[in-house]
Amino acid sequence: MYKYILRRLAFGGLTIFGVSVIIFMVLRVLPGDPLVAIFGMEGFTKLTAEERARYMADLGLSDPLPVQYLRWLRDIAAGKLGKSFFRDENVADLIIRRGPLSAEIGILSVIFSWILGLPVGIISALRPNSLADNTARFFSILFLAVPGFWLGMLIVLALLFWFGYKAPLIGVPLWVDPWTNLQIVIWPAVVLAVGQAAYIARMARSSLLEVIREDYVRTARAKGLVEQLVVVRHALPNALLPIITLSGILMGFVLAGSIPVERAFGVPGLGRAMFTAVIERDVFVMQNLVFLYSVVFVVLNVLVDITYAWLDPRIHY
Amino acid sequence: MAQRSDTYPVEPLPHHVSDAPSWLGRAFQGLRLFIRRNPLSAFWGGVALVIITIAIIAPLIAPYDPLRANFRRMTKAPDAQNYFGTDQIGRDNLSRVIHGSRSSLLVAISAVLLGTTTGSLWGLASGYIGGRFDIVSQRLIEFLQSFPDLILAMAISMALGTGVGTVIVAIAITRIPFGGRVIRAVALSLKEIAYVEAARGIGASTWRIMARHILPQCVAPYLILATTHLGVAIIIEAALGFLGVGVPPPTPTWGNLLADSLNSGLVPPWWLVVFPGLAITLTVLAFNLFGDGIRDILDPRLRGSR
Repeated sequence: MYKYILRRLAFGGLTIFGVSVIIFMVLRVLPGDPLVAIFGMEGFTKLTAEERARYMADLGLSDPLPVQYLRWLRDIAAGKLGKSFFRDENVADLIIRRGPLSAEIGILSVIFSWILGLPVGIISALRPNSLADNTARFFSILFLAVPGFWLGMLIVLALLFWFGYKAPLIGVPLWVDPWTNLQIVIWPAVVLAVGQAAYIARMARSSLLEVIREDYVRTARAKGLVEQLVVVRHALPNALLPIITLSGILMGFVLAGSIPVERAFGVPGLGRAMFTAVIERDVFVMQNLVFLYSVVFVVLNVLVDITYAWLDPRIHY
Repeated sequence: MAQRSDTYPVEPLPHHVSDAPSWLGRAFQGLRLFIRRNPLSAFWGGVALVIITIAIIAPLIAPYDPLRANFRRMTKAPDAQNYFGTDQIGRDNLSRVIHGSRSSLLVAISAVLLGTTTGSLWGLASGYIGGRFDIVSQRLIEFLQSFPDLILAMAISMALGTGVGTVIVAIAITRIPFGGRVIRAVALSLKEIAYVEAARGIGASTWRIMARHILPQCVAPYLILATTHLGVAIIIEAALGFLGVGVPPPTPTWGNLLADSLNSGLVPPWWLVVFPGLAITLTVLAFNLFGDGIRDILDPRLRGSR
């Protein structure tokens, strides 16, 4: 088991390294000239040769690429993460200021998605092709097709039209003003949860349908166990494993989805920072934020894999 | 063939009257089977076809020029003159939604074709050739998969500078890992099968085996992959447009329309939000359900799962 965890961690580390190389190549090497990425093609052609040279030197871009890459890694290790090109703000500060809000949204959305998706999947699986099952499947198919950010915009409009309600726009940490904070994070979390729940309900249905045909479930029924107990104690634990893996994969859905969703709701979280960085073509902020999101994604998936191995007694490493 | 000539002692029949159905007839039969087996998904396939047709003939059916501003009718709610209302500078929303289908579909379809094809060929080579090439490929694909897809697409699209081609490439790269994984598994399973081994035994080259013996077996999973990823590609395209890194304005795409609606101030007019989003949802729904049907037909093992 420990050997497995160590190996999984080592692979995770390798992946993070690979990810950092890809990010560096995409954002710093691919545009050819980093100034093109910052100013855009038109802006770049307007710069004079001296201006170009000055910007390059200011930003530390005149060094060879491997040197720049190593310097970036060193900055990450030192927790500095470099400065935004357009604002006088350290990227690390930016993350500390805006990150908690996005993390809250992410965690809440995962919790909501389980609360919503699992029961729906169970009901579907217990009465396949019933009215409840067909309704649930209809909605899960529908919500797979609805873009989260559009649903968010609709919710904003609906709340305003019918209740005259607008969520506060200024981000407040949970420990300062929990009520305002909750008002900000709750709807983005719901929107992201609905999309995930659609996947989870589908997976829960198919996985439970498979388990419920197993011999041990028949045995449990044959010995006269109440149906609820058969499901909760015998079928469900075995059906949960694929759902846990899926939930890990869906982290990508949450992380990526939160960017347009935060924009739709005007939440001042990390997603908004990413949006601003893209609009302003702030390569350095973008580079670090993309890296952060990918590291979170990789780490969460390593954790999910370890949980999986720990939960499943059939897996021995 | 020998038996056939026994039953018809006269001259062998000319090709076109043989009872073997032509490819057109076979396609027609396949279509009938598809509709009978999966009417729901055939219906949504029809819807998808209608949407694609609308995209192709957009200039013929759009009531107005999607780019022409009309300053006498700014931010008007839907009425008899503009069925979907007008935007902040008086452009007709219906025409914009109709024209939006063009870039949205063009980007999504080309991106899926490009990404899935690249990924599949890579997976095919990686699975069949194996060895060090396979190990390196697998790691690379794993790295690519460690990015949340939209974020990778945003970074690439930002690095290359916005444009239709850029968005296509950006979305395509996020689709490569899926093709790579699935087709590699197919190639691996075929590698040791007798007819492939026979081909190797008579000295066929690696390229020839891959092209003539492995590739045809990958067509079904390739089609499944392509159809199931169309919906995702449309949503990513819309999100990129919404975040301002999609096809550059003023080209109307569904994502750009939603982004534009937010420009009017704090609260967007409802018709500028509802209609483009409905178009996205309907299209994704159509492609997803059609894709489900294709998967059921081509891969009976997967029926009812997922």
